[in-house]
Amino acid sequence: MNIITCFKVVPEEQDIVIKTDGELSFDRAKPTISAYDLNAVEAGAQLREVCSGALIALSVGTGSIDGPKLKKNILSRGPESLAMVADDRLKDLDTHQTAKVLKAAIEKIGEYDLILCGEGSSDLYAQQVGTQLGQVLNIPTINSVSKITPSNGKIVVQRTLENEVETLEITLPALVAVTTDINLPRIATMNHILAAGKKPATVWTLEDVGAPELSSTIEVIDTRAPRQVERKQDIVEGDTDDAIREFISKISAVLAK
Amino acid sequence: MRTMVLAETQKALAELCAGVSQISQQVEAVIIGDQLKAVTDTVWHIPAQENALLEDYTETIAALIKQEKPELVIVEPTKRYKLIAGRIAAMLGTSVITDVLALGEDLIAKRMVYGGAAIRTEKVASGCTIAMVGSGIWETKSVTEVAVREEKPVQFIEPVNRVTRIARDEKEKAAVDLPGAKIVVGVGRGIAEQKDLEMIKQLAYAVKGEIGCTRPIAEAEKWMPKETYLGVSGLMIAPEIYIAIGISGQIQHTVGINRSKIVISINKEKNAPIFKQSDYGIVGDLYKVVPALIKHFG
Repeated sequence: MNIITCFKVVPEEQDIVIKTDGELSFDRAKPTISAYDLNAVEAGAQLREVCSGALIALSVGTGSIDGPKLKKNILSRGPESLAMVADDRLKDLDTHQTAKVLKAAIEKIGEYDLILCGEGSSDLYAQQVGTQLGQVLNIPTINSVSKITPSNGKIVVQRTLENEVETLEITLPALVAVTTDINLPRIATMNHILAAGKKPATVWTLEDVGAPELSSTIEVIDTRAPRQVERKQDIVEGDTDDAIREFISKISAVLAK
Repeated sequence: MRTMVLAETQKALAELCAGVSQISQQVEAVIIGDQLKAVTDTVWHIPAQENALLEDYTETIAALIKQEKPELVIVEPTKRYKLIAGRIAAMLGTSVITDVLALGEDLIAKRMVYGGAAIRTEKVASGCTIAMVGSGIWETKSVTEVAVREEKPVQFIEPVNRVTRIARDEKEKAAVDLPGAKIVVGVGRGIAEQKDLEMIKQLAYAVKGEIGCTRPIAEAEKWMPKETYLGVSGLMIAPEIYIAIGISGQIQHTVGINRSKIVISINKEKNAPIFKQSDYGIVGDLYKVVPALIKHFG
């Protein structure tokens, strides 16, 4: 089974700084792999252990995604090779644009049986790229998959929805978006990281994959921190009997209502 | 403005139709099969197909939207509809705005990004706006039964790709109604062991509250059901009182609880961010404080 696992490069969340005016600063936020996509990569790596075929990691974004640390990071998690469309024209893509560029890159890669995506990206979390990609590739597409089992040239998946769990048989090629609890992504060992440096990585421009330059389908007006709710911040310090008694007397009045 | 509404449940269909009518004069429900009752005077009805998944109606819904060209399509944010809406958007050459927190007559939407650290304001550049909206965003007017004046049948279009459903099991329902609870006790990583949840249960019982948790407690430790974690990608609650125990106050969690009327927190770290978002708090060992609370309130 030839598998392509898609991942998004996002700014490291904990290094995003909220400025006093509510705007966000990404100056200190290094590019990293979107957390939920690690589950897709791990699902691919686990399938690769039981099936023959290749596992290729794929991402699209600006030139900044083409960094040695990031490439090693993804390649130390199981994929044999990496493909990227890294082009500064791919800034702030919406979900439709992303799907279109991924489609062009997948067609450039050529043969595949299964495309894996995460549930959503950890930065914007629209949960839409996988579903859009499956549609533009015109292949069976299922989201919210919590287990994948290969079965005679097809896959059988468990899909966890709000109130039900269904088991589906899907013919290949297909696209599957996995949940965050499908697996626990592996932590790469030093050996894996060293080996990752020797794995092939291909970096393309928009022209290389023949992707059209699309205009945005979404107009972003602004992105800013929500205003904090004002709280009393009546905090008792210490856990001596007296302090606990003081705390209880404060909250009793509230809890009694 | 003309709007079509798609929902999986009757409750959501009724609330979304009533809600969106505050910004749209013409609201039309799209009903698949015979499970849902109409709540608008004009209804598009897609006949039920044998052995079809809801996903198998995607092409049919897309064709209806293409033909009727509503300015707005409101979709209940369920997993199935996230898939269906995304595929429809791909067919229309647009993107869906998911998990919308606010949507006005101007079709400008607000949604949470960066794990709750920011709110993004955005709108669709051109054509149909597809927005996935939870039922809570509009002040709900009373939902009244509406006599259907016009039911328009929609021709079913055979899906291009089908998957086969082998089995379907109802999930065990979470025993608690966290969104409806007046008092919620939340637990985080400050709890050392799963068995210590017993103490939290006693406290919840004493203050007549329900128990929720942070994502690591549900997903990494699996000490609590996944349905009970509060925050981004989990539940968003607005109880009268939220009691945060051993919760540091990461934004991913606090976005789920910051609509609580009163927040009370117990944490041994003086600098835990949760204290800045609390009305009352104590800097102390939860293993000393919680038993004292149980004794007092029990």
